[in-house]
Amino acid sequence: MVQNNFKKITVVPNGKDFIDVILSRTQRQTPTVVHKGYAISRLRQFYMRKVKYTQQNFHEKLSTIIDEFPCLDDIQSILWSLISKIAKDYVKLLKYGDLLCRCKSLKVAALGRMCTVIKRIGPSLAYLEQIRQHMARLPSIDPNTRTMLICGYPNVGKSSFMNKITRADVDVQPYAFTTKSLFVGHTDYKYLRYQVIDTPGILDRPFEDRNIIEMCSITVLAHLRAAVLFFLDISGSCGYSISQQAALFHSIKSLFMNKPLIIVCNKTDLQPLDGISEADRKLVMEMKGEAMKTVIGVLLIMSTLTEDGVIAVKNAACERLLNQRVELKMKSKKINDCLNRFCVALPKPRDQKERPACIPQAVLETKAKQAAEKEKRKTEKDLEDENGGAGVYSASLRKNYILSNDEWKEDIMPEILDGHNVYDFIDPDILLRLEELEHEEDLSPEEQEALAEIRKKKSLLIQQHRMKKSTAESRPVVPRKFDTDRKFTTERMGRQLSSLGLDPSLAINRARSKSRGRKRERSVDRRDGDDGDAMDIDDNQASKKLRLRSTSRSRSRSRPPSEVVPGEGLKDSAQKVKTIKLAKKSVLKRNKNARRGEADRVIPTLKPKHLFSGKRSIGKTQRQ
Amino acid sequence: MRLEKCWFCSSTVYPGHGIQFVRNDAKIFRFCRSKCHKNFKMKRNPRKVKWTKAYRRLHGKDMTHDSTFEFERKRNRPERYDRNLAENTLKAIKKIDKIRSDRASDHIKNRLKTGKVQRQKEARKQLEQGIHLVKAPHALAQDSSLCLPKIKVNVSQAQTEENQPMEE
Repeated sequence: MVQNNFKKITVVPNGKDFIDVILSRTQRQTPTVVHKGYAISRLRQFYMRKVKYTQQNFHEKLSTIIDEFPCLDDIQSILWSLISKIAKDYVKLLKYGDLLCRCKSLKVAALGRMCTVIKRIGPSLAYLEQIRQHMARLPSIDPNTRTMLICGYPNVGKSSFMNKITRADVDVQPYAFTTKSLFVGHTDYKYLRYQVIDTPGILDRPFEDRNIIEMCSITVLAHLRAAVLFFLDISGSCGYSISQQAALFHSIKSLFMNKPLIIVCNKTDLQPLDGISEADRKLVMEMKGEAMKTVIGVLLIMSTLTEDGVIAVKNAACERLLNQRVELKMKSKKINDCLNRFCVALPKPRDQKERPACIPQAVLETKAKQAAEKEKRKTEKDLEDENGGAGVYSASLRKNYILSNDEWKEDIMPEILDGHNVYDFIDPDILLRLEELEHEEDLSPEEQEALAEIRKKKSLLIQQHRMKKSTAESRPVVPRKFDTDRKFTTERMGRQLSSLGLDPSLAINRARSKSRGRKRERSVDRRDGDDGDAMDIDDNQASKKLRLRSTSRSRSRSRPPSEVVPGEGLKDSAQKVKTIKLAKKSVLKRNKNARRGEADRVIPTLKPKHLFSGKRSIGKTQRQ
Repeated sequence: MRLEKCWFCSSTVYPGHGIQFVRNDAKIFRFCRSKCHKNFKMKRNPRKVKWTKAYRRLHGKDMTHDSTFEFERKRNRPERYDRNLAENTLKAIKKIDKIRSDRASDHIKNRLKTGKVQRQKEARKQLEQGIHLVKAPHALAQDSSLCLPKIKVNVSQAQTEENQPMEE
């Protein structure tokens, strides 16, 4: 018989339903078809089976009901015997049945009698059903486990205490008898489960006058082996004075035998224990004294409103209960069997040397350092709390950035510029590429100026060269010292270098130091011609002898081509052209050799070194 | 925050504008406004729709290959922040932009130049051939310049006298 499973009792059917169920089952589970023409033994068998089946079913069902109910043993046998008697009788009769209809009627009669029996006990079944429903609603209390009982006057704060330490949600109201029945909650202490039972309030009355609700609490106090917490309302806000409560205590203290008792003074927020009157205090001390006399009793104060001391009370109660139970167990015979089985082994010390646990020094150091670090290091959370909490302070995510320059940490970089994404353009060598790009583009004004200058100069050079080329055939190749155009002077060099942007002084000095001095002769002051020297406008005052010589050997002035007019002793222009050509031919040759005229047979150097030096391949070098 | 390109017309989609459509194969289509979105839903090919950039590039109306386009490239790896680099980039963007727009307008000018030349030629031809419509060949022979003869109208005296009271 399981005591805790009141909820698991099967539903007790009422009389009529019971009969219906059994009969329909009989009809379904046994063969239904039978004919007149069958052998008589078969017919008998058929009906006997039905009767027996019905009897069995009744028996089964009733026994399950009775078994599940806690205390109905005697009823069981009576009922059973009734039904089985009926069944036996009819089976006997059926053995002698000779016709189908007779057998059938016998069966019907048997079933009918069984059903009447059940109908008669119908009311009892209804009553059982009610009990079952009621019992199912009872809280399941395990009488053997660790239990704590809360008792006291109504409205002292038992249910609120219960709500505080367990997950039970008991009604707490200002009127008395809010709690009308027992409530069970569970709480944990040192990894063990404790049942906490909340009782309705008890008034101080003689035993016989108590109502059912109070009897609940009294019964549970009497029968359960549990720790008792007697609640006392110090402030008197429950409506009963301390003296009344003390009286109650004394009247039921007989029930507290052999139970750990704790007197709990509740509602200390309204009235502290020290503030009560002298008489009251005496009463309280009396109660305390009584408590001390029993198994370890104690007086505690608490307030369920401010939750002050609630945990202390719970712990104290649990502790005391546990100790008591352990003690009892130790005293009982059973424990000895267990004790024999376990023992704690300690190594026997062989000498007086102390051998503590060995922790390497490094580990100790790191542990110490970690501890120090934990204290010293300021976390982001601390920072947040300092600056106003979660909603006010927003952490700076940028402060731990790794950048080449720490000043850049708070920089805001634009993401969009003129319809472009800036991030798409970032490139370490963007400047180089930009330069290249600009090169492809048009030139700037300075560049254009420079370009214009360059082109001008180049065109001049080209012009000069062309002119030179065109007259190359008829122009003599004259060494530089005979330059008529005065192109190779240091002043000119200096001017040109300075126009290019260089400082010419060094070069000029060097040139002058290296140049060979010439004898000064009478020179003919002769200005240069314009034709051959369009570039050099300035006046050259070079050595006069050079000039004399060079002018005499420079190329002759070119005459503009003129129209060939016939005449001057020639018959026509064709002939004249021919004569001019012939004349030019000879002149050309002479000009090329830098001769002034037909009669000029001057040899500038009589003995050029290159012809008069060196060894001979054959012959002697004595004369040349 | 990024500026995206409209899939249909290739204009920039600023934040807060337009619609994005994600297809079942996870391809994202962004549209700058409902016009492009509706055209897309009609399954029109942007390369055939005259006002889109795709059409213009395909048909040579706008510049396609240029070195300025290589500056702008989507980078997937972020670079560490460098203030100098950021500054240079911002300045460079402006210059690159100017160069690119200049080149684009040059491209268009070049493209339109042949048209201009052609129109000039045509104009000259017409001048030559059609001058007889506005100036008589006889008058042209007398005065070979192209100034058109002015129409002379004789105004009678009576009319002027009538007008006087009105002017007052």
